[in-house]
Amino acid sequence: MTENQAHSIAVPVEEIEKLPELKENPFKRRICEVFSHDGSGNLTFEDFLDMMSVFSEAAPRDIKAWYAFRIYDLDDDMYIGRGDLLEATRLLTRDELHAQEREEIVASVLDEADVDGDGRLSFMDFEHVVVRAPDFLSTFHIRV
Amino acid sequence: MSGGNSKNKGRSKRHEGWEEAGGEFYQELYPGGEQELFENLQRADAAKLATLLPSKQARNTTTVKRGRSQNERRQSTYARTTQSRDIHLAMMPDLSENLSNEERTWEEIMQIKAMPVPMLQKRELKARLQNATKLRLQGFENIHWQQRKVWHRFRVRFGEIIGKLELWQSPMREIEGTFGTGVVSYFLFLRWLLFLNLVISLFVTLFLILPKTILVETQHTCSDYEANSTVCCSQYYFEKNVTDSNIVLDVIQGTGWMEMTILFYGVYSNEIYTYFLNGFWETQMYYNMPLAYILVPISWAVLSLVAIVKAGAKGFKEKLVESEGQLYKYCNLVFGGWDFCIQHEKSANIKHKALFNEIKVCLEEERIKEEKQLRTRESEILLYLRRLLINLIVLVILIASGFLIYVAFNYSVDRLGTGSSEQSDVKVDNTYVNRTFERLTISRLRFNQNAGVLGLYRENSFFEQLENTLLEFLPFICIVMLNLIVPEVFNQLISFENYTPARVVIVTLLRTVLLRLSSLAVLMSQIYMYITVNGIICSLENKDPNRLECWETYVGQQLYKLVLTDFAIQFVTTFLINLPRAFIARHSSSKCLKMLGEQDFSLPKHVLDIIYVQTIIWMGAYFCPFLPIIGTIYYFLIFYVKKFTCLVNCTPSPVVYKASKSKSLFMSVLFLGFVISIGPVAYSVAELLPSLNCGPFRGYDTVWSYVIETFDRFPFFFREIVFLLGTSVFAVPAFVVLLFFLYYYWALAAANRHMVAVLKNQLVLEGHDKQFLLNRLSAFIRQHQKRCERRNRASFADDDSSIRQSSR
Repeated sequence: MTENQAHSIAVPVEEIEKLPELKENPFKRRICEVFSHDGSGNLTFEDFLDMMSVFSEAAPRDIKAWYAFRIYDLDDDMYIGRGDLLEATRLLTRDELHAQEREEIVASVLDEADVDGDGRLSFMDFEHVVVRAPDFLSTFHIRV
Repeated sequence: MSGGNSKNKGRSKRHEGWEEAGGEFYQELYPGGEQELFENLQRADAAKLATLLPSKQARNTTTVKRGRSQNERRQSTYARTTQSRDIHLAMMPDLSENLSNEERTWEEIMQIKAMPVPMLQKRELKARLQNATKLRLQGFENIHWQQRKVWHRFRVRFGEIIGKLELWQSPMREIEGTFGTGVVSYFLFLRWLLFLNLVISLFVTLFLILPKTILVETQHTCSDYEANSTVCCSQYYFEKNVTDSNIVLDVIQGTGWMEMTILFYGVYSNEIYTYFLNGFWETQMYYNMPLAYILVPISWAVLSLVAIVKAGAKGFKEKLVESEGQLYKYCNLVFGGWDFCIQHEKSANIKHKALFNEIKVCLEEERIKEEKQLRTRESEILLYLRRLLINLIVLVILIASGFLIYVAFNYSVDRLGTGSSEQSDVKVDNTYVNRTFERLTISRLRFNQNAGVLGLYRENSFFEQLENTLLEFLPFICIVMLNLIVPEVFNQLISFENYTPARVVIVTLLRTVLLRLSSLAVLMSQIYMYITVNGIICSLENKDPNRLECWETYVGQQLYKLVLTDFAIQFVTTFLINLPRAFIARHSSSKCLKMLGEQDFSLPKHVLDIIYVQTIIWMGAYFCPFLPIIGTIYYFLIFYVKKFTCLVNCTPSPVVYKASKSKSLFMSVLFLGFVISIGPVAYSVAELLPSLNCGPFRGYDTVWSYVIETFDRFPFFFREIVFLLGTSVFAVPAFVVLLFFLYYYWALAAANRHMVAVLKNQLVLEGHDKQFLLNRLSAFIRQHQKRCERRNRASFADDDSSIRQSSR
C-alpha cells in the first residue's frame, strides 16, 4: 500500500455492514456514515482505524460521547431532535412499540435531558446526560 | 483535507504557510472585537445564531469562516462532514501563544490522541507541531524529559502486554457477544474471586505449607514426659497406624491417610523451628509456627476485607452517580440501551425484545405509580396481606429446611455411630483402639484389614461402605438439594407479590442468600454441638470411637467435603441434567417439552453459587489451610462449567441485567458472606479449647491466649504503647477527633449536595435565559437586516439616479 492508498481506497458500506461486529447493530449504517471521510458510508482503511479506536475500551469518555452524539444525530444537523429520537427508539425496538408509546418515551427523554428547553438535544445536553448514564460507557465499545 | 492533492499542496507551502495559519487561528479563537462580531452576525442567518454563543465557541469557532473558504474548494456533498470536522480544529493547541519547548510539544502531541478528529487530521496536527519552531531542552531538563518519554512508552507497552495476557479474554468476548455486558460482569466477578483466592493461597503456601514441609521438626519421645502431657497425646495420635483403606473414598472425605497430610490443621507443628545458618552469619534463625498459623488467617481476612471494601466502594460511587442517574432513566434506556458488543443474530433479537420489555416496564411503572395514588384502601390492604402471607410462607420454608438439615445431620451421625459400635462388639481388633479416630470410616477400615481372612465379607462390606459414604454425605446432599429446589419455589411465590421488577431481583436474592447461609449456619451449629460434647480428649486414653481426637481437623474435613460436594453437584447438574434438557428443548417440537427444557441464565442463582463456595472457603481456611488452593482450582474449573452452562445450556434471559447495577450487588452479598464466615472462626479462635493431640496450639486454653502470651514476650516499650492505645487516655480524644472528622465530612457532603441543587437550577435558568436572549437577538438581526436592505435599496436607487443623471 502506498501512502495515499490508505485514505483513497474505500470499502463499500455494504461490505462493512457484513462485519460480525456490526452485523447486528441497529445503527450500523449511521455508524459507517459518521466514520467515513465523505459521509457516504464507504470506509477507507484510515476511517476504519478511526472507528475501531473510538470503539476501543481505552478511548476516552469525551471522544466516545462525541461520536455517540454524532451517531444518534441521525439527520446530521448537530442536534438530536425529536425525529432523531423517534427513529432511534424505532431502531432499538424494531417497530414493536406503538407510535404513541414512542412519543411518550421521546417526550420523557427530552424532559430529562433537554436543559435549555429548546425541544432538542445539543451536544452539551447530550454529554451532560451520557456521562451520568451508568450503562453508556460499558456498552459503547466493540471488543476485537 | 482527506484528498491527496490538498496534502501535497500543504506540503509545498509548509514553510511559509504555518505562521500565517497560526495567526489566522489566533484571530479566530479570539475574535477581534465587536466589529467582527457584528460582521459575523450579519453574515449568519438568524436560525444559526446559537452557534455563536460563547458556550459553543469552544467547538464552533471556525465554522463560519473556515467552513466557507474550504467549502468553495470542495464538492457540495462534502460540505456537511467537513464542516463538522473543521469544528474540531478549534480544539487544536494554540500555536501562536509562545514558543514552546520540546517537552510541551511532546505533551501536545500526546494530547492529540484525545481529540475527536479523524486520523488524517491528527497526523497533520502532529506534523505541524513537530515542524513548529521550538526550544531545545538542555541538561537536566532534557534528561528528565527523555525519562518521561521512556516511562510513557514503557507503560503503554506494558499495558498492551498485560491486556494480551489477561485471563479468559476470548471466552469473555464470546459471552459478551451472546449475552451482553450484564452477564459478563458475573464472569468478571468470578475471575476476581479466583485472583483473591490465588493471593490467599500464596500467603498460605509461603508462610504455612512451605515452612511445614521444609523445616525439620525435633522429635520428642513420650517416655521423657508425663503420660498426660501434650507430647504423649500427640505422639499417640500421630502413630495410630492408618494402614490401608479405600484411597478414593479417603480423598473425597479427607479421612484416613489424608487426615495426616498438610491438608489439615492437625499436622501443623506447635514448635518454634530453630536452625543454624552456616557460612556468613553463624546465627540462629527462628520460625514461630503457631504464631504464623494465627497471623496468616488474620492477614488474609484483612486482605479479603480490604479487597471487598475497595471493589465495593467503587460500586458504591457508581451507585451514587446512578441514584442521580435515576433522573436520566429514559436517556439511559435510549442512549445506553444497545449493547454494541452483541454479535449474534439470536442475541440481537433477544436484546431488541429485552429493550422493548424494559421500555414497556418503564411505561408500566409510570402507570403503576399513577394507579398507586388512585388505589383504594381495600385493595392496598389486600396486597399487604398477601405479601405478609407469602413472607410467612418463606419463613416457614426457611425454618423447615433448617430443620431438615438438622435431622439429616443427626440421622447420619446416629447411624454411623451405632453401626460402628455394633460391629465393635463382634470383633475386637488390637489396632482398633488406636484407630478410633476414624469414627466415620471405622467399619470400612476394619473390613480392609480382615479382607484377606473373610472373602465373603467383601461384597457385604462394599455396600456397607457405599452406605456409609452416602450417610456421611447425607447432610451435604440435603443442603445442596435444598439449594436447588427452594429457590425455584421462591421464584414462583414472588410472582404473587406484585413487586416492581427491580425489587423482585433484590428480594429473591435476599431470600436465597438467607436460605443458603442459614443452612450453613445450621450445619455449623450442629458441628459445634458435636464438638463440645465429643471434642476434647487425649488420644492415649481414648477408647471411644465416637470421640474426636482433633476437632479442628474434623471441621476442616466437613468443609472440605462440602466444597467437593458442591463442585460435584455443579458438574452433575450442568452436564447430566441441564445439558439433556437443553438438548430436548432444541430438538423437540412439542411445546410442553420445550417448556421443560428451556432454561435462561438467571444471574442471582449463579452469583449465589460462587459466593456460597467463597463463604465456605473463608470459614474453612483456618481449619484446612489447603482450602484456598482448592478454591482457586475450583474457581478455575467452575469458570468453564459456568461458561458451558451459559453458552450451551441457556438461552439469554428476558430480564435485562445491567453491568452497572450488578457489581455493587455482588460485592454487598459477598460482604455478607464474609461476615457470616468469619464469625464462627473468630469465635473458635477466641473461646474454644484447642485439641490436645494435634495442631499448633495444643496445650493452650484458647488460641488467643497463645497470642497474648507471645505478646507478653515483646519488648516493654512496644507493649506499653499498645496498652496505651487501649486506655481511655487515648481512646476518648481519638473518638472525639473521629467524630469531628465525621461531622466535617458530613457537612461537606451536605453543602455539596446543596450546591449541586443550586447549580442544576441555575443551569435550567441559564437555558431559559439563553433561549430568551437568542429570540430577542434574532428578532433584532432580522430588523437590522431589513433596515440594511432598505438602505441598500435606497442607495442603489440613489446610485441609479446619479448614473442616470450623469449619463444625461
